[in-house]
Amino acid sequence: MANKKLTLALFSGSVDKLTAAGVILGGAAAEDMDVDIYVLLQAAFAFKKENAMVNDRVAEITDKKDDFLASLDRLNTPHWTEAFKTAKEMTNVTIHICGFAGKVWHGEKLDDFIDLADDICGIGEYMASAESADINLFI
Amino acid sequence: MNTDELTSIHVDKSIDARGTSCPGPLLAAKKAIGQIEKGEVMEVLSADEGTKRDIPKWCQKKGFEYLGTIEESGYFKILLRK
Repeated sequence: MANKKLTLALFSGSVDKLTAAGVILGGAAAEDMDVDIYVLLQAAFAFKKENAMVNDRVAEITDKKDDFLASLDRLNTPHWTEAFKTAKEMTNVTIHICGFAGKVWHGEKLDDFIDLADDICGIGEYMASAESADINLFI
Repeated sequence: MNTDELTSIHVDKSIDARGTSCPGPLLAAKKAIGQIEKGEVMEVLSADEGTKRDIPKWCQKKGFEYLGTIEESGYFKILLRK
């Protein structure tokens, strides 16, 4: 039987939402789901090599950012890049950088992004993936 | 199965995931399940409340037999048969 498929339109470049995405990817990996991730606009900023590990922006409850980040440390929560990497090691995860999003953040080539990224693509591929997905999320 | 019955089961593999939060224990179980044979029993130690519900659902989806959960002081032992 073919694996079920999760398609994730990943828009957010903030560590709170990226961490949530990492948790969901963990659940997908545990169930051997195939996962297609499309890195859109602000997420492409977070995927740039020079930003991934130093970006500590949060999107929600911003006045509690320090508490939130401290709690992630206290709970031994892996950095979102580590959670994504673990999911890639455990199931079939492909990470596509939206070509437009890359250009917005001056990323023209795949090498401008962290090694987790597999290719640069257009929105047509997202539409095809989303049409055939069992679960389709926008974060 | 009651706690006495669960406690008497021979465990072939024990995974200690008490230092991790969701989805850490589930992923630890997923990683370790490949290391035991069909019919063998694995226990997952977790201090994460959500794992008590995650593992039975995961077992159901993957075709493993969820045997039960033993509540220890500050953590759970969740047993399953591959």
